[in-house]
Amino acid sequence: MSWFIVKSIIRRPARNGALMFAFAFIAASLFSGSYLLSGAGDSVQSGISRLGADLIVVPENSTAESEAVLLQGSPSTFFFDSGVVAGIENISGVAAVEPQLFIATLPATCCSMSIQLIAIDPARDFTITPWLADRQQQPLGKDEIIVGSSLPARTGTTLFFYGHPFVVAGKLDPTGTGLDMSVFIRTEDAYTMANESKETAVTPLQLPPDAVSAVLVKLDDPAETANISARIARDVPGTRVLSSSTLVSTVAGQLAGTTRLLSLAAAVATLVTLPLVALVSAMAVHERRREIGVLRALGATRVTVFRLVLGEFLLVAAAGAFLGILVSLGLLLLFGRALALALAVPLALPGLTSLLPAVGTAFGATVAVGGLAALFPAIQATRMEPYEAMRSGDI
Amino acid sequence: MIQATGLVKYYRDGDREVRPLDGVDFRCERGEFVLILGRSGSGKTTLLNILGGLARPAQGSVRVDGKEILTLPDTECAALRSRTIGFVFQFPGLVSTLTAGENVVLPSDLVGAKSGEGDAARRAAQLLEVVGLAGKAGRFPSRLSDGELKRTAIARALMNRPAVILADEPTADLDAETERKIMELFSRINREGTTIVMVTHNTDLIPYASRVLCMENGKLSPA
Repeated sequence: MSWFIVKSIIRRPARNGALMFAFAFIAASLFSGSYLLSGAGDSVQSGISRLGADLIVVPENSTAESEAVLLQGSPSTFFFDSGVVAGIENISGVAAVEPQLFIATLPATCCSMSIQLIAIDPARDFTITPWLADRQQQPLGKDEIIVGSSLPARTGTTLFFYGHPFVVAGKLDPTGTGLDMSVFIRTEDAYTMANESKETAVTPLQLPPDAVSAVLVKLDDPAETANISARIARDVPGTRVLSSSTLVSTVAGQLAGTTRLLSLAAAVATLVTLPLVALVSAMAVHERRREIGVLRALGATRVTVFRLVLGEFLLVAAAGAFLGILVSLGLLLLFGRALALALAVPLALPGLTSLLPAVGTAFGATVAVGGLAALFPAIQATRMEPYEAMRSGDI
Repeated sequence: MIQATGLVKYYRDGDREVRPLDGVDFRCERGEFVLILGRSGSGKTTLLNILGGLARPAQGSVRVDGKEILTLPDTECAALRSRTIGFVFQFPGLVSTLTAGENVVLPSDLVGAKSGEGDAARRAAQLLEVVGLAGKAGRFPSRLSDGELKRTAIARALMNRPAVILADEPTADLDAETERKIMELFSRINREGTTIVMVTHNTDLIPYASRVLCMENGKLSPA
């Protein structure tokens, strides 16, 4: 009898189109919220994994700037005492540390805005050097740089920072985080650039000797992240430890307003749609009393009538949910980047493992709303005696 | 084929108790064409609906092929309605969202016929041809005339090859020519072995029947 349901839906386009729109709105609201949270979470995980670190130690008084650099690529220059590197290195369970230096550039030749330089020491680096090795490339040479995926620079082109020329040696894969807007240079070249900047740049760059902005930490056992974070915070004063979970929490906090708004929209849509669909399905059953009576006279059992009525609304809800998810996914793919900038959060296309539960939840919840709303009218339809049903209503 | 005994049906109209059926006995054998005559409101439609298991009497029993239908579970009663009985209602009763052809196929689909979709469609096309509607299978009910609607309903009633057709005023509101065509169709169906029980107020239909009964004041009697 599925053909009967499909034809009944198709040949009542106005009513079913309006219902589908309502279901699509519920599904889109639910899906968008999940997508944003999953996308931001996956983005942070991907960014941290690109850095190759289990923990990132930053100056306590520059925590917000550090998170902004890592999550959004908002350029910033800050340092802390280089003595922290040894302090962290001495903590048991720490396998390797990598000091990095964050420098905000002046507007460069590649970009109309300031961007983030991250200076690394190739001898201690576990962020860029292994990535280059994977691609059978040499470690970063003098005045060579690796650029984030969002920067409009191709391999081999020359970029100027503080008047110093650098050659692009490679481009990172997208992560959705601030790394996409960052440039990796050698620490040695950063100091050369700073020294030359007194003569080559409008605003000279001043770097204290042995400056450190962040220390990336690799652990012997990544399962010990929480313990070692606590030990660093206790034994190395003036520091703040960031991990993927703390960064995900930060992002979730930044997204809280938006996800609350989307949840509210889904709740309002559900609250409005549920009685609306219940009313429409009750009206549909009422106006089709004679049709239901005729179906019963032709041999439909009560169960068949129940399936036909409920099936019709479940199918409309499923089609609406599918459309809602598809349209919101399309809009998020098209405008996700702009949305991420507006909300100041990292955002990448969530992986299948995050996307499928989001799709499943939005789809399942929407279809459940449809089923719930049509349940009572469907039961009512089965209670009609064929003769009584046929005595009233139009076909 | 059908045997009903002691059928009583009543309802209240204000303070008054109305008894459309007041102890009706009815019997019909296989292959008969029984015409039940009666004025409007005499209870003939109520009787037909009870005989087909579409309504329940306050008292009495109805046996179809020896099986008491008033105590049958819903699934068995539905199976009886779909396989043994074909209904033609006073109103056409076609589903507005389905074409004439789809309406004719509907009973076969409701019983979950084992034959393939092609078989059902072929039989529907044959039946539409039999009722003179070849080429109109793709039309929606809103594009069919009253006579065509009635003939489509007859084709639908024949779809599952029922043993008996219960027809309620099948020629009401039709012109004389369409009435003649429809009654000739019923005669042909009857000659081919299908039992027909028809209720009407139209005495012009008497010549088509093998037996005529009268319904008056809730009682059924030979004409």
